[in-house]
Amino acid sequence: MPPGQVMRREDKAFREDRLTPQQTAPRIAALLSALGAGVAACALAFGSPALAEDKAPLKIGVIAEAQAVVGSSIPQAAQIAADEINAAGGVDGRKIELVTYDNHSSSAESVRAFQRAVNEDHVNAVIGSYLSEAVLALEPWSGRLKTLLITPGAGSDLISENIAKDYDHLKYTFHAYLTSTAIASFVCDSAKDMLVDQLKMKTAVVMIEDAAWTTPYNTKLLECLPKIGLQVLDDIRFSPDTTDFTPIFNKIEGKKPDVIITGISHVGPQPTVQWKSQEVPIPMFGTANQATNSTFWKDTNGAAEGVIYLAASGPGVAVTPKTLPFVDAFTKKYGNTPSYAGYTAYDEVYMIAEAVKRAGSLDSDKLVDAMEKTDYVSTIGRIQFLPKGDPHVHALKTGKGFITGLALQWQDGKQVNMWPPDLAAGKLAFPSFVKIAGAK
Amino acid sequence: MVVRALFSPPVLISLVVLLLAATLPLYVSGYVLGLLTIAYYFGVFSMAWDLLFGFANEVNFGPSFLIGLGAYTAGILDSLYQPPIALCIAAGVLASMIGGLVLALPALRVRGPYFGLTTLVAVLMLQNFVVVAAGLTGGEIGLTIPDVISINDKVNYWIALGFMGVSGAILYGLTRSPVGLILQASGQDPVQAGALGFNVTKHKLAAFLVSAFFSGLAGALMAFYLGAASVGTFIDVTVGVQVIIGAVLGGRRTILGAVLGAVFLVALGESLRPLGDLATFIVSAVALVVVLFFPAGLLGMVKGVREAT
Amino acid sequence: MQFWQILIDGFAISSLYALGATGFTLIFGVTGVLNLSHGAIMVAAAVAAWAASGEWGAGSYVAALFGVLVALVLALATYYLIVRRLQLSRAVREEEKEIFILTATLLWGIMIQEAIAYLFTNNAKTVLPIVDGVVRILGVRTPANEIFTAVVCWATIGILWLFVNKTLAGKAVLAASMNPRGVTLVGIELKTVYVGVWAIYGVLAGVAGILLGMFLGVSSYSAGPLTASAFSIVVLGGLGSVSGSLIAAYVVGYLETLTAYLVSPAYRSIPALLLLVAVMYVRPRGLLGRR
Repeated sequence: MPPGQVMRREDKAFREDRLTPQQTAPRIAALLSALGAGVAACALAFGSPALAEDKAPLKIGVIAEAQAVVGSSIPQAAQIAADEINAAGGVDGRKIELVTYDNHSSSAESVRAFQRAVNEDHVNAVIGSYLSEAVLALEPWSGRLKTLLITPGAGSDLISENIAKDYDHLKYTFHAYLTSTAIASFVCDSAKDMLVDQLKMKTAVVMIEDAAWTTPYNTKLLECLPKIGLQVLDDIRFSPDTTDFTPIFNKIEGKKPDVIITGISHVGPQPTVQWKSQEVPIPMFGTANQATNSTFWKDTNGAAEGVIYLAASGPGVAVTPKTLPFVDAFTKKYGNTPSYAGYTAYDEVYMIAEAVKRAGSLDSDKLVDAMEKTDYVSTIGRIQFLPKGDPHVHALKTGKGFITGLALQWQDGKQVNMWPPDLAAGKLAFPSFVKIAGAK
Repeated sequence: MVVRALFSPPVLISLVVLLLAATLPLYVSGYVLGLLTIAYYFGVFSMAWDLLFGFANEVNFGPSFLIGLGAYTAGILDSLYQPPIALCIAAGVLASMIGGLVLALPALRVRGPYFGLTTLVAVLMLQNFVVVAAGLTGGEIGLTIPDVISINDKVNYWIALGFMGVSGAILYGLTRSPVGLILQASGQDPVQAGALGFNVTKHKLAAFLVSAFFSGLAGALMAFYLGAASVGTFIDVTVGVQVIIGAVLGGRRTILGAVLGAVFLVALGESLRPLGDLATFIVSAVALVVVLFFPAGLLGMVKGVREAT
Repeated sequence: MQFWQILIDGFAISSLYALGATGFTLIFGVTGVLNLSHGAIMVAAAVAAWAASGEWGAGSYVAALFGVLVALVLALATYYLIVRRLQLSRAVREEEKEIFILTATLLWGIMIQEAIAYLFTNNAKTVLPIVDGVVRILGVRTPANEIFTAVVCWATIGILWLFVNKTLAGKAVLAASMNPRGVTLVGIELKTVYVGVWAIYGVLAGVAGILLGMFLGVSSYSAGPLTASAFSIVVLGGLGSVSGSLIAAYVVGYLETLTAYLVSPAYRSIPALLLLVAVMYVRPRGLLGRR
């Protein structure tokens, strides 16, 4: 018998009143009426009347991870774009209406949100998620429900490779962020300038979380790092819900590389915090999506000092004339700088608006054709999509003149841009416990 | 006895409600249909749980173990080899029943809190496995399932409604049959039931398998409805809690009440969706209030709870 | 070299697990309640401490104290609002009370977790460490924080032991866990004992949460896994046995560390889970379990 329960004899024979049939019937009737009223109320509340089609608003659904730091910027940035466009008169007289959904970082919830967006809220396009797994789950639905889907942040190459394999069904999806392979190329490009040429580094260990976006990232890194002169001593993959990085850092230290090339996103700021508290003498360089957030310094209690990460955007960096005005507008409205997915979400509302103007209609197939013709100067560079026939159709064109990426370093509470050289705003500096081989 | 049960008030009322529900697609929006489709699958989850708890008196704290096994096995099979959907679903049901067997064996040997803990541990292990074997299962964020049963929301709705109706009929019929009475007896007083010559363990094991069958089948069907499976929708402890609360809210030991509770919870969760972050908080708070202040549930209050012995 | 690393790292992790599990098993042993909001209370303490130092600028000691206070309040709230309400309820049968309390504490834990995510996002937070820098032990460079964690854990457990075995109040607690009726016969109010135990539990969970926050960081997502790990350890050690939990904590902690170092960090939680399965099948009472 569980302790704390003093045995009471009468409790054992505890009984509630049994209702007579005369008492039961009216209760059942009342219950059924309540249920019926409830269903009717639901139907009325959620059923939507048909709207006249001409000059109906342009409705854009936004599916994002509202509780994640990166995801929360997506609907916020989209709202800024929508407000700007509406203030300037809308799209051919149509107002833009945003409908946001929180997918709680789950692909099944993203699917439900997408179904709701199309079937109930009748959106014309969806801006969806920065998580590759969620976008991959949404991709077939964009085809089944024939609705435009454009992602502000996912990385997996599969997104565009799937479209190439089944263009007619999946053409509704657009991958408006860097593919993992592209990101890996930027890592190699910037590493060549900063690590090999400047700091004379020779060896590296790759440390990557196990997630959908990292498989092609990992493959490309292993291919391009040796080409720029960095020998890869080890390739470590860890689960995104790892909390204790001590064994991982110890293992890396044992190999004595000059640099740790990172691929971390969902795992959070822990690796950075523990890197500092263990005083690992090796610098970290690569993709660290948490580091793109302005709250990263506080979240890590300053352990971010010296971390170098790649991004398509950064505070104070005027990649294009549109970048800084957007950042200012966002910071003024919400009190913090946007996450990397905020920049692209903002751009995507504009791109959808332009596509609607080009197509002259809200029909999905016409919108797809119009989106393919996108040539837009966004906050992160010039946006054009790869055409039909390309193995990465509907992914972004990268390289000089399009999107080149940036490399920033956290210094003293600020994110300072280091690369490309024409946009650099400072010099590399590392915390005292980090030992840089080669240069002194 | 079974025939008499067929024409009892609860059954007749349920039939009327089912017929009414079948007409909904004619005048209700696709969104509500989608919502109810999910609610009906949760109704089956809750009914299966109620069978185990209400009648075999075994509190299964991890119904999502069985549900997750069904959903993920079916989904993984499809994403790897794309066999016919029926085959995937059958595989899911089989996996769930094997899981139920594996769970039942240690669980039936222990009493009280240990049983609940065993079932909870099973959920954790499945969750861990899914996360670690991310290459196979899509990890924490989810698995994409290439095929769906249908994209027509009306068709999906009728499939779910029909499935729920048939499952409900079978489960309810079971509880009113001689087997069901034995279950109830052995649940409430195993010693006496044993003394009367009934093999208590065998009957409880059977109850486990039946519960697993329906949980796995509903899980697989729901996965093929969504075209995606993730830990948060099928395996997480919060899913199990939703199933349990649905049954408790509707009224334990009524089977039919479980559907009411499940529909109510899903509707509540969705209607709060615009609140975004606070939705889960509010649903949990409501559920907590129910557990604390209305443990007899809706149908329990209406019917008058059967006395304890 | 790696041997010493494993030894030290494992010791720190195990001590943390031990402190977390001790609170959990104490509550069960004395009051019979399996508090499934355990992880959420720990996370709440850590996030409160982080918020105090990060958002409101308090020093690390004050922040830590604040965190423990939050855990204490939550623990007492759990007792008064949920456990006591259900234990005294006339609408629930005796045999079902345990299940209802389990479900209710689980829901309560979810509520706390969601509230944290709503207020502070689900991003992982690290509590400002009280102790900084690294020390070298036997050639292994260890963060001083790790040593601090292990020391505080054992100090807390030591104080608890002294309390239970050497003070009158503590002996009342011990007696209540063995024979509640007997305690009332001797004239001690059971309710006072329970409130006291929940208060002690709050402090234990708070300290464990803050140490965890300093060492490894927490997020609202950690709540579930923390509860799970605590009761896995407690089940292994035997429900209701504090010494069993301590031993089990070290077994699990070292199993995880060994796996992370020697096999792969990705599989660190597997051996402990397998062990749990084995125990459930072979000896459900656990190592030193009494009921």
